[in-house]
Amino acid sequence: MSSDNDFRIIISRIETYFIRRRDTEYYLQVVNDKYDETYNFFFNISPRGKRVHSIPLHTVEDYRLLYLEKLINKIFEKYQFSIKYDGFVGLRWPLSQELIQKRRHKDE
Amino acid sequence: MDYSKEPHGVFFLIDNKSFYASVEATMRGLNPLKELLVVMSEADNTNGGLVLATSPMAKKLFHLQANVSRQRNLPQDPRLIVVPPRMNLYIKRNLQINSIFREFAAECDVWPYSIDESIIDMTKSWRLFGDSPREVARLIQKTVRHRLGLYTTVGIGDNPVQAKIALDIYAKHDPELMGEIHYETVPEKIWTIENMTDVWSIAKRTEKRLKSLGIHNMRELALSNPFYLKEKLGLIGEQIFAIAWGIDRTRLADNITPKSHSIGNSQVLPRDYFDKKEIETVIKEMGQQVASRLRHHHKQAGCLYLSVTYSYSARAEGERGGFSIADNLNPTDSDQDISELLIYLFESQWQGQPVRNLAVYSSKLITKTAQQLDFFTPVKQQFQKEDKLAIIDEIRSKYGFHSLVYANSLLKGGTAIHRATLVGGHNGGNAYE
Repeated sequence: MSSDNDFRIIISRIETYFIRRRDTEYYLQVVNDKYDETYNFFFNISPRGKRVHSIPLHTVEDYRLLYLEKLINKIFEKYQFSIKYDGFVGLRWPLSQELIQKRRHKDE
Repeated sequence: MDYSKEPHGVFFLIDNKSFYASVEATMRGLNPLKELLVVMSEADNTNGGLVLATSPMAKKLFHLQANVSRQRNLPQDPRLIVVPPRMNLYIKRNLQINSIFREFAAECDVWPYSIDESIIDMTKSWRLFGDSPREVARLIQKTVRHRLGLYTTVGIGDNPVQAKIALDIYAKHDPELMGEIHYETVPEKIWTIENMTDVWSIAKRTEKRLKSLGIHNMRELALSNPFYLKEKLGLIGEQIFAIAWGIDRTRLADNITPKSHSIGNSQVLPRDYFDKKEIETVIKEMGQQVASRLRHHHKQAGCLYLSVTYSYSARAEGERGGFSIADNLNPTDSDQDISELLIYLFESQWQGQPVRNLAVYSSKLITKTAQQLDFFTPVKQQFQKEDKLAIIDEIRSKYGFHSLVYANSLLKGGTAIHRATLVGGHNGGNAYE
């Protein structure tokens, strides 16, 4: 699937679920899925004091960090959600050379 | 007890711990055993939400059960993650798991039992992988965990039923996620089960009947008189007596041909239906769906069965819970014939009660070899009708069910269009993945 296509699907699904409720935190979750060799995108909706809803947005099959970095930069131009990364400990973004995920989460 | 003439093999029954919840956890990079996660279907007909699966930790912490908990029983806790079901993904994982099992046993010895359980006949191959069946089971568990991130529980037995009971009763609570029953250990492992409904194939009704015979646990069942059991409970009596002794003479490879086939569908409506027109819309849709499935299998039905269950409120008022009715018809696979009879059956019994469940089944199936003409309709018209249905089926198989629907599905109350996107009654997952 081309970069445009991945981008388009992710954005269109965010549009469906991002309804700007008050007292609600919205954030993206990007998972390095080592079993399938894919990057999985989720949209997490966390109303204060309530259960978190985690909605699958898309699975990116192009398993290259450079591709992922470009895709995320593109999403960032449109939406500035904070992003929770899982499964990226020790990896750096190829372009910016920053660490992707600083430390392992307790339930990983 | 002399077990020497009973079949002795090495059987594994492997199941996935909280399968749907575990798959969702691994997709999110989380450990399936540590995470607080529930898979909840929020389809129209679940009345707010139905919990399909619960991760082991969530079960422990919030005392939840899978499949029976409703959204209203779920605590509002910010630690809890709620995710929608993706049936297609679970089917894919199940296929991957079974292909791992086939690395350990021949293809013909791996038997998928449900979406998250498989029976493996390891009799011929276990020696290739370790010194004891337990060691091999461990290796399989590790392989699945390593490749897919999922935890599996293994029941080991000398025959399938021992493996199944070992899985259900012992493996699920074992720190190594393994349980073992052999012929020698039947008294200590099976007879000690106090709660008979924990045993595979014994449910509440059977338990009640056994209790009325003075049998309250597995030991009493095993030590009762089998002829008496058979007299009182019929074939089932014999069967559960054998289970109590850990005996299972099934040969998995035997091909079982059912005496009769049936094709049918059932559904829970998204709300209570009061209006006759709305109910009949859904019945017609279901008739069309059954007809289309009949045509797909090149069958014609000689008997139709309609079951209608009233809504909970109507039942609470002391009315009967619904009705089931069947009738014969000239073998057919036509949408119209089937819908007409179903509507007739419905109208003959319904007296205005609110309806919540519908089921339509067709039986007395015969293989369709030719089109049966009748005297009363012009032949050309009959051909055209047949051709029309064939074309509808062809278009649907090529472009999906949505591409061509009867206009009545667009009426208020119709469910066919929405249901066509579901897998096993639940959300299949994103289409473009």
